[in-house]
Amino acid sequence: MNVAEKPVIAAASLIGQRIQKKDAPEKAAGKTRYIQDMVVPGMLHAKILRSSRVHAKIKSIDTSAAKALPGVHVVLTAADVPDQQPIGVARDHLPLKGERVRSLRDEIAAVAADSDEIAEAALKLIRVEYEDLPVIATPEDAIKPGAPLIHPAPLDAHGRPQSLPPKTPIAFAGKADNIAMRFDYTHGDIAQAEAESDVVVEDSFQLHYVTHCCMGVSGVIAEFDASGNLLMYSNTQVPFLHKREFAEYLNIDPSRVRIIQPPIGGGFGSKLDIYPFEVICIFLARAAKRPVKMVFTREEEFLASPTRQPVLLTLRSGCRKDGTLTFRQVHTLHDNGAYTSWGATTPFVMMQTFSSLYRVPACDYHTTVVYTNNPYAGSFRGYGNLQATFAIEQHMDMLAEKIGMDPLDFRMKNAQDVGEVTGQGMEFKSCGFKECLTTAAERSDYRKKHADNIANRNARGPVKRGIGIASMLHVGGGAKIYPSDGCGTILKLDDFANVTLITGASEIGQGSETVLSQLVCEELGLPISAVTVVNNDTAITPWDVGVHASRTTFIAGNSAIGAARKAKAKILAAAAKKHGCGEAALDLRGGFVVVAETGEPVVELARLMRNLHFSDKAELVMTTFYYEPPSVHQDKAFKGDVSAAYAWAAQVVEVEVDTETGIVKMTKVTGTHDVGRVLNRLGLEGQIEGGVVMGQGYALTENLIVENGVTRNPNFRDYKLVTAPEIPEMDITFVESMDGEGPQGAKGVGEAPAICIAAAAANAIHNATGVRIFGLPFTPEAVYRALRGKSDKPHWPAWKPE
Amino acid sequence: MPDCTTNCVNEDILTMTIERYAAPQSLDEALGILQQGEVTILAGGTDLMPQTKAGRIAFKPTLMNIGRVAGLKGVSLDGAYLRIGALTTISELLRDPLVVQHAPVLAEACDQFASDQIRNAGTLGGNINNASPAGDTLVPLIVLDAEVELASKPNGSVTTRRLPLAEFFTGPGRTKRAANELLTAVRVPLPQPGHVARFYKFGTRPALDISTISIGIAGIKRDGALTDIRVAFGAVAPTPVRAPRTEAALEGRPLDAEAIAAAADTARDEVSPIDDVRATAWYRKELIHNMTRRMLDHVAKA
Repeated sequence: MNVAEKPVIAAASLIGQRIQKKDAPEKAAGKTRYIQDMVVPGMLHAKILRSSRVHAKIKSIDTSAAKALPGVHVVLTAADVPDQQPIGVARDHLPLKGERVRSLRDEIAAVAADSDEIAEAALKLIRVEYEDLPVIATPEDAIKPGAPLIHPAPLDAHGRPQSLPPKTPIAFAGKADNIAMRFDYTHGDIAQAEAESDVVVEDSFQLHYVTHCCMGVSGVIAEFDASGNLLMYSNTQVPFLHKREFAEYLNIDPSRVRIIQPPIGGGFGSKLDIYPFEVICIFLARAAKRPVKMVFTREEEFLASPTRQPVLLTLRSGCRKDGTLTFRQVHTLHDNGAYTSWGATTPFVMMQTFSSLYRVPACDYHTTVVYTNNPYAGSFRGYGNLQATFAIEQHMDMLAEKIGMDPLDFRMKNAQDVGEVTGQGMEFKSCGFKECLTTAAERSDYRKKHADNIANRNARGPVKRGIGIASMLHVGGGAKIYPSDGCGTILKLDDFANVTLITGASEIGQGSETVLSQLVCEELGLPISAVTVVNNDTAITPWDVGVHASRTTFIAGNSAIGAARKAKAKILAAAAKKHGCGEAALDLRGGFVVVAETGEPVVELARLMRNLHFSDKAELVMTTFYYEPPSVHQDKAFKGDVSAAYAWAAQVVEVEVDTETGIVKMTKVTGTHDVGRVLNRLGLEGQIEGGVVMGQGYALTENLIVENGVTRNPNFRDYKLVTAPEIPEMDITFVESMDGEGPQGAKGVGEAPAICIAAAAANAIHNATGVRIFGLPFTPEAVYRALRGKSDKPHWPAWKPE
Repeated sequence: MPDCTTNCVNEDILTMTIERYAAPQSLDEALGILQQGEVTILAGGTDLMPQTKAGRIAFKPTLMNIGRVAGLKGVSLDGAYLRIGALTTISELLRDPLVVQHAPVLAEACDQFASDQIRNAGTLGGNINNASPAGDTLVPLIVLDAEVELASKPNGSVTTRRLPLAEFFTGPGRTKRAANELLTAVRVPLPQPGHVARFYKFGTRPALDISTISIGIAGIKRDGALTDIRVAFGAVAPTPVRAPRTEAALEGRPLDAEAIAAAADTARDEVSPIDDVRATAWYRKELIHNMTRRMLDHVAKA
């Protein structure tokens, strides 16, 4: 007898595996075609003339010579686009400036020409006459009584400030003071909590300008068809929000705007807002009746793309002798720059950290965002949390020291736990915070090293070792900011059981295509290679709010799972019907419909698909799903459970401080992240490692130097990114708290790894040297000065407008 | 020879104003072109490209690529000298056995020079002629008592002159090279018995950084004292500079803690750096003091 063994397909899971990013081979081979590589037939090349003054009235603009230059098609100034509408969250920013420039990046004119070189040459032929105005270079100056206004109301014929109807945008009506935004939050009784405190500390902290440094600089191609429909190739992270906004600026129906995203060379939040260059490119395309491409130079990217929000912050914290936190009072002054973008709204995230990272009975938080003539800040991975954590986690160490408690014990005593509902209304349904703290501390031998380093501070030799810990809380299940925080998915299987996953979620290098494919394949029992992801065309993909708030894995992941489960149900029902068995007994594995219990194949999935398709009642497996997280909008007092889940981490940073040069070498980072569940281990590690290095740059080397409104180092020579030899050893571990709402239990992690590093580095430098530094970055000279007692401690008396 | 002018719509306002590109194969030919005047010399291009792009240097009508000129590359022994051709790249210097053997401090400086990509293209002659006060090879070459060889063809025949490198620089981006001269080689005397040399570069990161300060120290160490001392500093003056007072404070004295402290103090007082985006003058002086002391400590212990 010759009997073959009955084939059985064992259950296998992709979750937690190390899966190569789907776009890795193309990128590694240099074959990815970014917007820089794109050529649209007939396209023109555009350049922008920016202000050469920080703050000035524009007396005249003469573009006649530029227009006369052969090869120039269009030259535009504000006068040429009388219909332009203000952009930005505060509607205070006209793309082309006609009356006044308020910062050195301001757009005065734009040229579309046959080549970049001709466009560049044309810019040099444009004559602009200015009348200089006083420069407001610091937010402290901007709030002084009688300070010149950045957005004064326009004057009427009699020279009096015009009064325009209420709700007229600031760009037209002006603003009677320099205060762009305010945020005030409170819970608990601050006065009573302070009275109950045994120890109170108060310090000011100064957070600096850094910028995203995406390898793929800003760029856009705009094109109108003969019917006036707008097609944009754009690097945006939020295509659906942009579609709607561009339609508004052009006064056309949003359905006539289509956005296609070429592969994006990094976003990190920088591509989350609409910027003048995009609107200007559209104006140029409209005027030229040709496609127009505009891509920034690296210098332009430094000067005219957004920064991380600089912050001056005064924090007052208290605790009892037994280590119980009592209160926190925070006043921050945000330098808004000349126009309002997302940086101004970082208090949304900052106040969460102040109110809810630890259990604190009373918290009082105030931010004043003020206009200056500086560059403006946008959203940037972490969204204010690096700034808030820098202050809080230093104060945690300082309070612990004051009451003679171990800094780790102090944190553990106040750390949040599962089930906690914070004063701000955040509900921690999964929370691995304490395990993050103990794991990171144990793996790095934190307690022993911390004590040893203090004992060795006065030992011989210039190099001192230090270790510091910091923790973070960040949204990990989206953030309900917009009317919907959801994401749609369309999923289809073809005749060969290959899947096309059409998702609203954009890939910006973070690995979303791969993790979404993985989640789908986990449901359908297919290999990753069976999935093609379509995610870059608003005419095809269902709606998604965009890449922000560490939300893609959680929101788009749940959406993809929803669509896949619907497909699976349909497939199993069809198989059950055809093969006469109960669908509950079936499963999908290895490209087959199998009997779940035994693994015995019932039918090959591809065969089943064809049977369905080529039958009398032809059917295709195509499903849709829209996932909306069960989070809520905050109320007017900023209270509410804004995210469906929250992510936690503790990171331990080890440093060597050379006291004769001030240079700080980051030798090791031990990080433990509560990620809910590990989905793609390789992608997760990459995400964490990249974030740590971004945090390291923020802490030690990166510094966009802005003096009197002028960016002094708009280049990679003097803006110092961390390079390979400086990257520390990393020991990254994960806590799997299995979030009940998360896709396969996972939570968001995109922003988390960058958040603690600067705070932990500050604590490590203190551990090494006994010197605490309250301002970033810890460049060699800054540290050297601090060690010699020659640096000015940031000082800002807590202030808010009456 | 390619000529770009005919394609230019408006030559005086476009950034590219090169009228003629020349790629001579021989020194004689190259010097002949130089003699005609108005020539921008291109070697590795790692300084020329960014500086022209940034508008700090304007192209002259003739762009002469000297990359194909025979005999300007490589390291050889020339009597009591190490002779380094001007077109030798920084990567080649770093690995060259003669350099490693006779001028290891120069190889060490090359190891801290920019990045691999720049070192593969950038040349020694280019680094010298760029005349940056922070040029990485300049300080070690000065303390090694290097001299530059300059060739020209003023009257139809090639003539050569030599100049100590320490006297070659006249300001940032400026040297004593005449417009009709080409820097052809650098000569470094072979080390004497007891020769010691050290180089230290301070930047905020170990790669791809421009010196905040740099220090070179060389001399003959005998019986615990240094003689024939040369000390040079980079990035503390408009050119790399010798430090005669610091040298005098050390010359012939036993290298004990007191002498080292005095030399470090002298060094700090001797330099007069400026404030810029990289550092303040005060911090540069502190670094000069602390690191001169650290280097001399190491020399004393070696």
